[in-house]
Amino acid sequence: MSLSSNPSVPASLGDDQATYPLSFTLNGKPTEAQVHPLSTLLEVVREDLRYTGTKGACHEGECGSCTVLVDGVPMNSCLILAPQAQGAEIVTVEGLADGETLDRVQEAFLACGAVQCGYCTPGLLISAKAFLEKCPDPTPEEVRKGMEGNICRCTGYMKVVDAVVQAAKSSKGGCHAE
Amino acid sequence: MFYQPKTVEEALAIKAELGLGARFVAGGTDVVVQMKKGRLSLERVIDLSRLGDLTEARLEDDVCYVGALCAHRTLETWPIPVLADAARQVGGPQIRNRGTVGGNVGTASPAGDVSVALLALDASIDLMSVRGTRTLPLREFFVGVGKTAIEPDELIVGFRFRRPKASGFYKNGKRNSVAISVVCAGASVWEDGSVAIALGSVAPTPLRLTGTEAFLRERGLGAEAIAEAARLATEEVRPITDHRASADYRRAVSGIAVSRLLTQLQGGAHVALV
Repeated sequence: MSLSSNPSVPASLGDDQATYPLSFTLNGKPTEAQVHPLSTLLEVVREDLRYTGTKGACHEGECGSCTVLVDGVPMNSCLILAPQAQGAEIVTVEGLADGETLDRVQEAFLACGAVQCGYCTPGLLISAKAFLEKCPDPTPEEVRKGMEGNICRCTGYMKVVDAVVQAAKSSKGGCHAE
Repeated sequence: MFYQPKTVEEALAIKAELGLGARFVAGGTDVVVQMKKGRLSLERVIDLSRLGDLTEARLEDDVCYVGALCAHRTLETWPIPVLADAARQVGGPQIRNRGTVGGNVGTASPAGDVSVALLALDASIDLMSVRGTRTLPLREFFVGVGKTAIEPDELIVGFRFRRPKASGFYKNGKRNSVAISVVCAGASVWEDGSVAIALGSVAPTPLRLTGTEAFLRERGLGAEAIAEAARLATEEVRPITDHRASADYRRAVSGIAVSRLLTQLQGGAHVALV
């Protein structure tokens, strides 16, 4: 079987190719990696590129601990095949702070003590960041709905809700989320 | 091993050549999980994430269209309650941002919320291959648990349905989010008086209640007819007992779901019962 014999089939990635050259932006920096085509974005970010802030827990898209921003949209990095991130802008928890200056969601999580074991925290911070972009002045109920894709097994939701509401306080305007 | 076509034609040509050994992957929210659990091998992947044309969705006054690669989040704000509310029930926000309608339907889960909503809109499904395009009523697409009428070289490209006058969705699940439905249900009514009802998680496939619908075509949506339709629905479903719920419970909930949905639709109101 030869794909190159069919002119409508791109020959760029034949069967003999064991790895895929991935080129994307990670936390604002142009990044290159040679990845196995069936590796997940989570695996590449954590294991190949050593950005270990992003956690993997359920590996089924249920717990949200691996959440990253893909072109500004929160997604489970455990469910994205690494080559699908070609050309994308990925932001992990390491990309939230500006140098030594923490993002307002990080400040608010610290101020409210919205951390217990901390395993879920990177995903919660990324989800909170994306949620507040869509919904700058949410009610606690809207926060609960907006953060429903993140699970904390230390039962720490109240302080998380407080933190997201507090992070929003400097913003004006109503909820634009649907 | 990993193909990233830029056009539908390229994707179909690759699939035609590689056949059964190649798998289309869109959002990956189901396929990647199955692969990681060792339940399916992904030796050859045809990544659909670059096929921008199939992400389109059009809300028209008459016939609406949803491209197969439309993410659930796109539908969450649509003024078609059965579809918007079903889309809002899928996974959590991260899944809804990533998972596609075509993927949800193609997985053919008996509990697929969006599959049930599209069935309740009497939708048709467009399938394309190098041999051409064909359109099937969605109710003929589901043939068993995880099994569909798709041919090995075909790709789901989109869905169409007539815009209903009113519609509603109902979900019974163990949590508010990231929970598989114990029973889900959708119903629509159109200007011409036709009614469509579909239920999920009560049969090997998402189920159209054609018998109950036929009864309602004769009898309309009065209180007595609705009570009888709810009873007919409990006879028409074929639930099993599993770790989520017993068959008896699902049967009872099916009747309640149909009764509530029809009562709301009776007034022509757009309803949300989730």
